[in-house]
Amino acid sequence: MPTPIITKDLCKGCELCVHACPEGVLEMSKEINAKGYFFPVVAHPEKCTGCRFCLLVCPDTAVQVEAKGKTTVRTEGLTPKPFHYCPGCTHGVIHRLVGECIEELGIRERTVGVAPVGCSVLAYDYFNCDMSQASHGRAMAVATGIKRGRPNLVVFSYQGDGDLASIGMAETVHAANRGEKITVIFVNNAIYGMTGGQMAPTTLPGQVASTCPLGRDVNHAGWPIRVVELLQSLRTPAYLSRVAVHDPKNILAAKRAIRKAFKYQIDGVCFSLIEVVSTCPTGWGQQPHEACEWLEQNMIPYYPLGDVKLPEAAA
Amino acid sequence: MYSEIIMAGFGGQGVLLIGKMLAYAGMKAGNEVTWMPAYGPEMRGGTCNCTIVMSDKPVGSPITRSPHALIVLNLPSLDKFEASVRPGGVIVVNTSLINRLPRRTDVTVIPVAANEIAQEAGTPKAANMVAFGAYLGATGIADLAVVKDVLADTFASRPKLIGLNQTCLDRGYEIGKACAAQARS
Amino acid sequence: MAKKLMKGCEAIGEAAIHAGCRLFFGYPITPQNEIPEYMSARLPQVGGVFLQAESEVAASNMLYGAAGAGCRVFTSSSSPGISLMAEAISYIAGAELPVVIVNIMRGGPGLGGILPSQSDYFQATKGGGHGDYRVLVLAPSTVQEAADLTQDAFDLADHYRNPVMVVGDGLIGQMMEPVEFKRSISPEELPAKPWATTGCSDRKPNIINSLFLNPEELEAHNWHLHRKYQDMAREIRWESWKLEEPVDVLIVAYGTVARICKTAIDTLRARGVKVGLFRPISLFPYPSEQLSQAVEKAGKVLVTELSTGQMLEDVQAIVAGRKPVSFYGRVGGMVMSPEEIEREVDKLVAS
Repeated sequence: MPTPIITKDLCKGCELCVHACPEGVLEMSKEINAKGYFFPVVAHPEKCTGCRFCLLVCPDTAVQVEAKGKTTVRTEGLTPKPFHYCPGCTHGVIHRLVGECIEELGIRERTVGVAPVGCSVLAYDYFNCDMSQASHGRAMAVATGIKRGRPNLVVFSYQGDGDLASIGMAETVHAANRGEKITVIFVNNAIYGMTGGQMAPTTLPGQVASTCPLGRDVNHAGWPIRVVELLQSLRTPAYLSRVAVHDPKNILAAKRAIRKAFKYQIDGVCFSLIEVVSTCPTGWGQQPHEACEWLEQNMIPYYPLGDVKLPEAAA
Repeated sequence: MYSEIIMAGFGGQGVLLIGKMLAYAGMKAGNEVTWMPAYGPEMRGGTCNCTIVMSDKPVGSPITRSPHALIVLNLPSLDKFEASVRPGGVIVVNTSLINRLPRRTDVTVIPVAANEIAQEAGTPKAANMVAFGAYLGATGIADLAVVKDVLADTFASRPKLIGLNQTCLDRGYEIGKACAAQARS
Repeated sequence: MAKKLMKGCEAIGEAAIHAGCRLFFGYPITPQNEIPEYMSARLPQVGGVFLQAESEVAASNMLYGAAGAGCRVFTSSSSPGISLMAEAISYIAGAELPVVIVNIMRGGPGLGGILPSQSDYFQATKGGGHGDYRVLVLAPSTVQEAADLTQDAFDLADHYRNPVMVVGDGLIGQMMEPVEFKRSISPEELPAKPWATTGCSDRKPNIINSLFLNPEELEAHNWHLHRKYQDMAREIRWESWKLEEPVDVLIVAYGTVARICKTAIDTLRARGVKVGLFRPISLFPYPSEQLSQAVEKAGKVLVTELSTGQMLEDVQAIVAGRKPVSFYGRVGGMVMSPEEIEREVDKLVAS
């Protein structure tokens, strides 16, 4: 019989797994873990179908699943170091997806990642491959330097909306336009998380942030930037796709896109950028599961999901 | 041996080229040389120019305010640089395009109708070579045969131009030599 | 190899290739465009990569990436471009990466002009970007020296894992002189860099980083860097010219200005004036001790620069009031002539 296995001390009590479970297998504990959080306990093991939704949504790899005598483990693409992200932050999910793709494609030993400035500034501690820190906005320039110097490496950058679409927009557009054979993971959570919730270039109209306390006024701040559509207009072939990580189905789709993005690079085809629409429960002032709902209702209408450009389609 | 030369004209007259040729010839003869294109306020005022310094010792300043020789292919260049030439120096003047002679009396003036001579030889574009030849003839600063080698190297990708330019160099050389001899006598 | 007549900019580019560098990232700016132009033609011939970046900001971060990946890499720019690179240079110094940066200085501040200048002395030797870091700075005065120092710069950068900057002015970039490349190394012959992000196939992952959130670690890192900058004292380079006997006037100048002074000194000495030249070649580390000794045997000191007095402050600190120090500067792209130097020396001798 399948069953979730909780590593309770990795848990930050976001409850996403409890909300994701379609069968009500999990409940939150009455006691706290070493970090001071309530954590999920397997209250109704008999109801588990082994769907792995709990594992998929867990941002801290605190949930694994045992089924048919096999237990899932944290991917080799990640170091064992626990993530520092806030409870329920989907950075952890995206890290896991990238790590799994690196492992499954067998490229860990020839991959170099570039960490940005922003919440994922410490990404170099989590990806189990060579890593380079970059200054704010310059991750794609750094990635360009690595890839041009050592074309046999698989190079990816991992960047947030402020890093990629504000201070680093020039580097973004030009790396894409040159068709750098790199893979960009663009985490769009519509806010500046690390600095405390200021307006991002992708903050939605009317969305409140600490530097737009009355909500984003598009007549003052302009409209939020749709990065993949903006890059789509470039003639250079590219793989551009937008995915989301607020529920298990979308998380699986996100992984397929990320994997495809790496594959295009491995095959020397094109620049690839995956925009991952994600949550910032802390910055948005919401519970993690509310943030997922808010994402679905507010972000996806403005940031439609799906492949926006395929290299095969280019003229 | 130590000599500073300014070569000046308008853009397209090929003063930078003959300057480089002199520098090459100096280097081939075992001298220290610098070639410096107009850089600084000299860039303004209708002249394109370069400074060559040639010495048997390492060259100090690559720029000069008082050259030993001046080759001018147009009037603004003569107006600009005439006063700077050291007493006892040489001024080669392209009389084809300059309607006056230098006012200086303490220098050797080599007037040469460079454009006409070059035209006779086949192309007015080689006026720079005529003036350069005149300077070489007047001063003997570099061996004509070495300069001709440099010329052949310079035009290696356009071999048809070598003979023509050598002719212009020769014509100028004779004029310069004769003028200088006359000035000394 | 036979001597070739080359422009300073071209000689710098060719020197980089002889140093085993196969990567150039840069952005056009006058008066150093001959360097990227030369590299764009030359690097593909030797299997290298030239990439024109979208900005100096991007170019300098490409440098960071490539240097982190263990490649010999360089860029060139001119003053306003170096300001844009200042951020990356700080990161490169913090992450201890070897890069070579050439600054063909032009007049500032702001856009200034495109003509020769030495007004980036402070920026080059005292920092330029944020944080407690230093860049090893070399200042050639001939085209041959520009080539030699550029080649050395790559070795020094690798040895100290630190940015090395070669500073010239527009004169040295545009000037042609005979140059000879005395040594050449291919990228394959260069020593391995086990710390670089080359892929972790036979080791634990490497991380290139300048972030230290723990203050104890950051303090230790800063002192480590500081010791490294002190160790660079081994690389001090200078030229003493006509200083065998005591002089009435000691001229202190670097780069092209120093050679203008040499012409003036020849003329002055022919007139019986006792004058000599101290020329720092490494601007950081500065040849303080050597200058201090030269000052002992001099009556007066004259500092001359294409600035309103930047190196002057270092010289004043070294002289420390022992001898009178005067200054002669030209700025804005104006360059002093040997005659101007003669006049300044004559004034000092007469006073």
